[in-house]
Amino acid sequence: MLGSLSNKIEACTAGPVTKEQASTFALIIARFISSCVADQIRLAPDKFISVCKRFKDQVLLLEEPLHGVAPMLTAIRKLQSSTEHLTTLHPEFLLLCLLAKCYRTGLSILEEDIFEVDQPRDLFLYCYYGGMICVGQKRFQKALELLHNVVTAPMSTINAIAVEAYKKYILVSLILHGQFSTSLPKYASSVAQRNLKNLCQPYVELANSYNNGKVADLETYVKANEEKFQSDNNLGLVKQVISSMYKRNIQRLTQTYLTLSLHDIANTVQLNSPKEAEMHVLQMIQDGEIYATINQKDGMVRFLEDPEQYKTCEMIERIDSSIQRLMTLSKKLTVMDELMSCDPLYLAKAGRERQRLDFDDFDTVPQKY
Amino acid sequence: MDFSVLNGALASKSFNRIADICDNLMLQVAAEGVAFQDEWPFAIHLLGHIYVDDINSARFLWKSIPAAIKESQPELVAAWKIGQKLWTRDYAGVYDAIRGFDWSQETQVLVASFSELYTKRMFGLLLSAYSTISIQDAAQFLGMSEDDATNYIRTFVLPVHAKCINLETLNKFGKDALRQGWTVDPVSQMLTVKKQAIVREQKLDPGKLQCLTEYVFHLEH
Amino acid sequence: MEFTHMVINEIVRAGNLVPILTRKLPKDVEIKGYTIPAGWYLVVDQTVPHFDPNSFDEPFALNPWRWEFFSFIMDGEDDASNPMMEEMYANGIGGVDETPSSSSSTTTRKNRPIISGEQLDIEAYAGLYTGRTKIMRLIFIADHCDNPGMQLEALRMAYEEIKKGENTQLFREAVQKIDGRLGPNYMMDASWCTMIDKKAEQRKEKLENELNAYRTNLIKESIRMGYNDFGDFYYAHGALGDAFKSYVRTRDYCTTSKHIIQMCLSAIHVSIEMGQFTHVTSYVSKAEQTPEALDPPTVAKLRCAAGLAHLEAKKYKLAARKFLEVGPELGNSYSDVIAPQDVATYGGLCALASFDRTELKASILPLFPSLLLNLPNKVIDNINFRNFLELVPEVRELINDFYSSHYASCLEYLGNLRSNLLLDIHLHDHVGTLYDQIRNKALIQYTHPFVSVDMRMMADAFKTSVAGLEKELEALITDNQIQARIDSHNKILYARHADQRNATFQRVLQTGNEFDKDVRAMLLRANLLKHDYNVRASRKL
Repeated sequence: MLGSLSNKIEACTAGPVTKEQASTFALIIARFISSCVADQIRLAPDKFISVCKRFKDQVLLLEEPLHGVAPMLTAIRKLQSSTEHLTTLHPEFLLLCLLAKCYRTGLSILEEDIFEVDQPRDLFLYCYYGGMICVGQKRFQKALELLHNVVTAPMSTINAIAVEAYKKYILVSLILHGQFSTSLPKYASSVAQRNLKNLCQPYVELANSYNNGKVADLETYVKANEEKFQSDNNLGLVKQVISSMYKRNIQRLTQTYLTLSLHDIANTVQLNSPKEAEMHVLQMIQDGEIYATINQKDGMVRFLEDPEQYKTCEMIERIDSSIQRLMTLSKKLTVMDELMSCDPLYLAKAGRERQRLDFDDFDTVPQKY
Repeated sequence: MDFSVLNGALASKSFNRIADICDNLMLQVAAEGVAFQDEWPFAIHLLGHIYVDDINSARFLWKSIPAAIKESQPELVAAWKIGQKLWTRDYAGVYDAIRGFDWSQETQVLVASFSELYTKRMFGLLLSAYSTISIQDAAQFLGMSEDDATNYIRTFVLPVHAKCINLETLNKFGKDALRQGWTVDPVSQMLTVKKQAIVREQKLDPGKLQCLTEYVFHLEH
Repeated sequence: MEFTHMVINEIVRAGNLVPILTRKLPKDVEIKGYTIPAGWYLVVDQTVPHFDPNSFDEPFALNPWRWEFFSFIMDGEDDASNPMMEEMYANGIGGVDETPSSSSSTTTRKNRPIISGEQLDIEAYAGLYTGRTKIMRLIFIADHCDNPGMQLEALRMAYEEIKKGENTQLFREAVQKIDGRLGPNYMMDASWCTMIDKKAEQRKEKLENELNAYRTNLIKESIRMGYNDFGDFYYAHGALGDAFKSYVRTRDYCTTSKHIIQMCLSAIHVSIEMGQFTHVTSYVSKAEQTPEALDPPTVAKLRCAAGLAHLEAKKYKLAARKFLEVGPELGNSYSDVIAPQDVATYGGLCALASFDRTELKASILPLFPSLLLNLPNKVIDNINFRNFLELVPEVRELINDFYSSHYASCLEYLGNLRSNLLLDIHLHDHVGTLYDQIRNKALIQYTHPFVSVDMRMMADAFKTSVAGLEKELEALITDNQIQARIDSHNKILYARHADQRNATFQRVLQTGNEFDKDVRAMLLRANLLKHDYNVRASRKL
């Protein structure tokens, strides 16, 4: 059934297709996806994937990405062996979500931890699209994690996805942490370590300008390089970087001051008026980014410590679930380690590299005969 | 299209679920290749997102709606106006946006409910963010109009309204205000906010002891 | 024993066995407007200073306790040959140098006003140094001071000093700097230059011939001496690089540790002049590694050199430690590099800027009599440095003020000294940093014991405005040097008491999240690598 469908579609879509035809095909495949049996399609994953990809093409041809979202999600669920399995369809699904602006739907799949990957390219795209979706939903923590995965993933040659991801990684890192260090972790591939920085020069400079803490400088820099950011479709993010700087500066004040007048805040953070400062502080309180109370009478802000006392049941639940998660993870790590040390390919490689040492090892065995 | 679930949710006033219901339904319908957009209740869908304070999703939904539909449905535009004010954090503007349109029968309940919820949220914000605030500002944040003010004060015991800053009105509600612990300085027209102590559960479940044992076991092996 | 010493001192003071001392003056001395020419004999009546009421309260009463203040100086005085000690003695009993007819006044007078609030007395300053460093310091002053009178004075002395030597290159530079402003006596002296250059040429030839002869004979000691002479020659003519090379070359021909030490000292000396402080450090450690025990003056010199190297590398703490270790044996023996006053100033400032309170107390403060009785053991260790400090009373006072929390007075001293310290060849680059660090430390120390501090009072204590203080404090808090927060409304600084329990919880959660993230990322990468490996393996198959 799958085979024949696949062949038929292959035949039909090989030449130019009219919109009407495409629409019919899309509908047929959508129905097929929703009615097929998971066990059967898993026997021929390649065929199934190619059918799904055709489906995506048709939907895009129709300029109706929304049509494809639900079937693609079903397809992923049927194809994957467990939620830890990243299929080739994951990035396709996220792409459709992005185009149809169904960010929230896309988020549902990003919340699952991924460990198994079929193709490295899948992971790159998955993390990149995923990062964009999380940025759209202002889930910067998750976005940073996904982009980090792209940037530090093992790669032998630099690819465009990694470069674009690195640009966004810089910006998200600034928004979330207010800082960015150009050095990648040791485990990142040497290709990435060497090339990424040079390929994203305007962004690295933006980060440098951010570190100086002067809003005016940052704004001038952004203005000067607006076109570059625009052409990378990152201007929106860059603007968020600028507004995050006000927040960062206010947050810094909370570390230093117990009370501070709105007037002084406005001056230090380079805002135009105390009222504007009040609004910024209020927004940050609303978002839980600082703890403070505003005293309009005296025009003062009193900064408070985090009121969390770590005594409530909710907190215990949180810690508990965190521990549970970590335990499962570390077990997984152990399993992985054991598998690795039993892998003949790994042993062969490791053995070759340690050849001389092995020779000595043999010597220590006393020979009786 | 089957709107029964949505209508059910609207009827039972479970507005929290509207966004999810609409999202899922939309995907299903779209997958069938049906041209749904002309009869889709976009305004309600949008308000559903706004109701659960998911302005991001509301924004993306608005962006994905074809221009023709935006033009033909003034209610949709009015709904987005609320979202827009929320997005730019124009606290007082939200109320204007709510009041500025004559909502249809279906949406009216939803909007009213959102307005109430939003006032509650703002009240919570005032409570946590201010130690003193001018009556005028407080009234703006709570978006009080004369009629609503009386209603709101009954439920939330807050003697605030831009137009009732005369001492009589204040005295009239003084008792209630005191009960909440808020005080008014008639000279400076400032309200002093009284924080409410939040009592939270601190009891421990004995089952946690078992967990603790497991953790120690895990650490040792 | 201390008391016995005091009694002996008092008896010697009251009933002096040698009432009259005679000294021959090595150079012209001016005392209270009278100039006594060099070569004259001077008779010093010792009883006059001994019974001078300016120096001793109730001079005719027998009171051994008056010596308590100086008791430790006497301990060190067994080493009578030590020139330093003589100075100390004279200085220590205060006012003696003021008495007319006192021969010791010639030395002390010169030392006293060196580093003080008043304008630098260049002549006195230059008197502390000999050799090339004297010239270089004078030229440095001329380059860095705004007062044209002082500038010319410095250049004049530099000119005269150069003329005594053989460095024509330096001479030309100095003349250029003077630019005829000092009249016909300080113009370019071309004939002198040619004469010196010609002499140098001949000398070089001679040295080369000698060295070649030694080398053919393969006598190690002679070759060493030959290279050494070459080093001295190059040094005198300002070819520092060549001098350094020649000195270092003697190394292969050193036969005793004494030779090695000599080589090291020469190399260090040249390196300091060249500003190559990495060489200084390495040769100091080489010298210290020699198996034979070093004699005290050498040790003192090496400490000074190491201190300078650390100072130059901005390692102020290490520099302070080295300077504090300098022994009194240094005296004026290292005047071609550093004067004992410098040891006090450099060491004192570095210590203030970098030591924490306990270290400061342990290392410098026992020097102060008021604290002496409580810490008898440390006194012995640090007696040396106190001697140095006595040479520069301003630095001594400011350290004392710093420790006893008189910050306003301490900062005032510092402020007064600033312009003169900026004229010091070694300190110039570091004055700003050191001052900032000292000020910050004063601020930190001031706030340390309090739960809350009224910023108005604090601003008074530091002679600054409340707003200015707020900015300074803000910077320090941001830098995590003060754990406190500012109540800008009431102008009060509150100490911040971190809640350990909450902080721990916070950290635990954070660490957990990070671990979570890292492990997941790691597993993912591992899978990718495995995949890559599989692909390659399958291709091979």
